[in-house]
Amino acid sequence: MELLLNLLAGGAGNLAAYLAAHVLLCLLPAFFIAGAMSALIPKPAITRWLGRNTSPAIAYPAAAAAGSLLAVCSCTIVPLFAGIHRKGAGLGPAMTFLFFAPAGNVLALSYTGAILGGEFALARFVLSLLFGIGIGLLMALIFWRDDADHDAQTDSLFAGQASLGVAAGGVLLSMLALLLAGTLKLEPLTATMIAVSLPLPWAEAWQSQLLDWVPFDAAKGEEGVSVQGSMMIALLFLIGVSAWKGLENITEGANRWTWTALVLAAVTLLVAALRLVPHAEGLTVELPGRVIAVGTAIGALLHFARKLPADDWRAWLWETWRFVRQIFPLLVIGVFVVGVIRQLIQPEWIQALAGRNDVVANAVAVAFGVFMYFPTLVEVPVARMFLDLGMHKGPLLAYLMADPELSLQSILMIAAVIGRAKTAAYVALVALFSIAAGLLYGAWVDGARIGPIALGLSGFVALLAIALAALHARRSRSIPLKGEHA
Amino acid sequence: MTTVKILGTGCPNCRRLEAVAREAAASAGVDAEFVKITNIDEILAHDVFATPGLVIDDKVVSTGRIPTAAEIRQWLGR
Repeated sequence: MELLLNLLAGGAGNLAAYLAAHVLLCLLPAFFIAGAMSALIPKPAITRWLGRNTSPAIAYPAAAAAGSLLAVCSCTIVPLFAGIHRKGAGLGPAMTFLFFAPAGNVLALSYTGAILGGEFALARFVLSLLFGIGIGLLMALIFWRDDADHDAQTDSLFAGQASLGVAAGGVLLSMLALLLAGTLKLEPLTATMIAVSLPLPWAEAWQSQLLDWVPFDAAKGEEGVSVQGSMMIALLFLIGVSAWKGLENITEGANRWTWTALVLAAVTLLVAALRLVPHAEGLTVELPGRVIAVGTAIGALLHFARKLPADDWRAWLWETWRFVRQIFPLLVIGVFVVGVIRQLIQPEWIQALAGRNDVVANAVAVAFGVFMYFPTLVEVPVARMFLDLGMHKGPLLAYLMADPELSLQSILMIAAVIGRAKTAAYVALVALFSIAAGLLYGAWVDGARIGPIALGLSGFVALLAIALAALHARRSRSIPLKGEHA
Repeated sequence: MTTVKILGTGCPNCRRLEAVAREAAASAGVDAEFVKITNIDEILAHDVFATPGLVIDDKVVSTGRIPTAAEIRQWLGR
């Protein structure tokens, strides 16, 4: 009985700490950005670089860009993947798109950065980009005969002109600024400019009450909840209620609840940027530079958003709300479960299995990633748990590369589109490259000299370039490309 | 008789598009047959690569978004 209570307390504590500390400043803007990308970036602006006649030097980077900018949900991923493979640039770019999408999208990157650190997010981004293109090229080389079987299709599917409007571009940029202003840990953002002391004698009692409920223990990776954190949880709850009433039917027009939800979201971001320190006489409110940066970004966002046509901003809010509704409940459950499980796992097990950076540890991490299936983004709090329990950062990255790319669900989906032989090759390549990525990053964390790693990576890039040239030569020899007859 | 096709692999947006389209057809008094296309090959055959797609009488009228009921009524009215 006591064990059960301990487990539940662990889960609830983990959840409260996450909601209070991490989620808001990164996830709130990230959801809005994902919604805007989905609703405001015209797909032809990127997909026209993915047509059948595009040279690989353009198609592969374009596929990666599509993965990171367009593919925020399976609604886009599956048709676009099948479309690139069958009617567009072919197998290689389709694989690059598929591999890079889960690691390169804005939600995954900002969430990884907030929970595991910016350096880790950067490593995840760079290595998945590099290896995504590598896997795409290898697949195209291995299966080049099949790829040449493309039936004669016109390029119309991926043609079409479209560019990002000024207002939509402004919205995206100011939201990106908002995300950075809220999360970067730089001097002018963190320095306190003004401090105001409020006579709120209950503040300290409330803080000790909170610490009683959610204990703070850095050694066990427990984070606790601050007075500010409790305000954030309350605001988050209010946003949830008003968003439910205001955004559910947003495509047919806005109502009063819509504006309530949006104003609350802005207020939440501003409150999150403050620093609240409870003491014996009351509560000190410190205003760091971050408040001004966040406020300015919100102002810019408002300026550009007002210029959007009604259809566009409604679609934007709808997509944002849809992502929240689709991902957030699973994330909440996932974080809770991670909190429960953390109480059960002994750190010694993790340290014995993956405490060092060697091939075995990286392989174990990848195997775990392949056989476990976590819903979107839940892999990140799981990774955090492993980090706290003593997993080495190298195998941790290997796990993070393999887990979202390879789940049973995605393997079935890929097999339906490209067949079993190619799927098997893809799975093997992802496993291999994830292990390599883990070893590389782990060596770098352990302080290996930057020279050999840079040398290895640039060697890899050079190999890729040679493969690219070979592929292009093969393709143009084997398929008479449309438009080259003239 | 109008044929309305909903193209989508079953994601939330596709279900919502179907609801909006049915509502639009009902309110416009159009007698329409609804067909759901979930097979990825058939979706691609319509040259649609962003779901949900809406096809009215074999013409693709919208892709990658959920149109409003008013828009769908206009398309149905042609």
